[in-house]
Amino acid sequence: MPGSGSRSGVSYDARGLVEPHAEMPDNIEVDGHRGRFDAADLTIRQINMALRKLIYNDGVTDVTVLNPSSKHSLAVGILKRCRIHFEGSPGWFACGLIDGPEVTINGRVGWSVAENMMSGVVTIERSAGSLTGAAIRGGDLIVKGDVGARTGIDQKGGTIIVTGDVGINTGFMMQRGRQIICGNAGMNLGDSMYDGAIYVGGKVRSLGVDCVPGEWTDADTELIERKFRIHGLGDPPELQKFVCGKQLHNYDALEPSERKLVIH
Amino acid sequence: MAGSASTGESSRETRTVAIDAEVLAGKRFPYQEDMSLVEDIDLLAATPGQDINWLEDITLLEEDGVPAVFDRYSNSFLKIYFDIPEGREDEIARKVLIRHLTDGNSYGITLKDIHCKFPQVELGPWVEDSRIVGTEWKQPVLEGWTAPAGH
Repeated sequence: MPGSGSRSGVSYDARGLVEPHAEMPDNIEVDGHRGRFDAADLTIRQINMALRKLIYNDGVTDVTVLNPSSKHSLAVGILKRCRIHFEGSPGWFACGLIDGPEVTINGRVGWSVAENMMSGVVTIERSAGSLTGAAIRGGDLIVKGDVGARTGIDQKGGTIIVTGDVGINTGFMMQRGRQIICGNAGMNLGDSMYDGAIYVGGKVRSLGVDCVPGEWTDADTELIERKFRIHGLGDPPELQKFVCGKQLHNYDALEPSERKLVIH
Repeated sequence: MAGSASTGESSRETRTVAIDAEVLAGKRFPYQEDMSLVEDIDLLAATPGQDINWLEDITLLEEDGVPAVFDRYSNSFLKIYFDIPEGREDEIARKVLIRHLTDGNSYGITLKDIHCKFPQVELGPWVEDSRIVGTEWKQPVLEGWTAPAGH
């Protein structure tokens, strides 16, 4: 439905999405399975169009994006195995909803990097903003720096590793997965978490509601040493484990009553 | 899924809480009954990164008293009917799930072809040369409806 809504001079596609500048960029270089383009003068839509064209249509498996210039929502919704390199810093919501890509960001990122990631690896060479790894369901997210508040909020799986410090409400309402924090943690760590594990190497300002120290097992050691090894993070620091105390949210206590409503 | 089935003259209904992959697909799949059909799956090759990545969170569960693996792409349980060797529970659950996904049998994959509005790979990251779906989506037209004036 091009042209709809054109009174304002802006056109929308059939999905109702605004098309500020939807022309495929002409600065894409392809060499075999590698692709590369400079995003400095491109719109968000153009950058994502170029990424999708290269990865979905051109069979490129390794893409380098130069100068992302803090633009938001880059590399979102890529559902294929590939490698994406950002030379510079994307803005908010980078790499959200991805399923499969292995991404390296040679810079820092804003809020909500890798939100809802299903699988893959996202490695950030510097610090990240708040809501890092919000609601991730699987995959590895590595931040080689500090992160803001609410890291891994609503996390449902996967592993978040932060080599620096984390802010307040880290692991808020976490339901599954693991967080490995090498530095200090702010107030309310693991507040209202349902399940999962948070490992902290530094000081914890305070624990949130129903977050308690957990028992260390050999499986914890195996997982942490493996993740540090494959991501080249050196030796892990001495860590303390925190888990859900199961006093606030408890699946086993709730589920039978829910079932009673249905099975008769 | 709160599915129901009639039991002859009786109006008594059998209801279950879970969403079952077999119910969604309308059939049971061979790899649910035969372990030899999943033995050769390479979990490392099937997942991104240098370990099993997202499969780390996939473990053998139980549904309706039957061993099962949860398929997050259709929010359903896929039951496993063969005997699973002790000590290999999670590995076998992961292999059954990967076979289910790579064969395109997950209900979520079926829905993609029908409903997705944006081009995307049908079989996700599990199959290298998966076809692209979602390129033909057209805005549904409600017959007899006209846009209000001013829109």
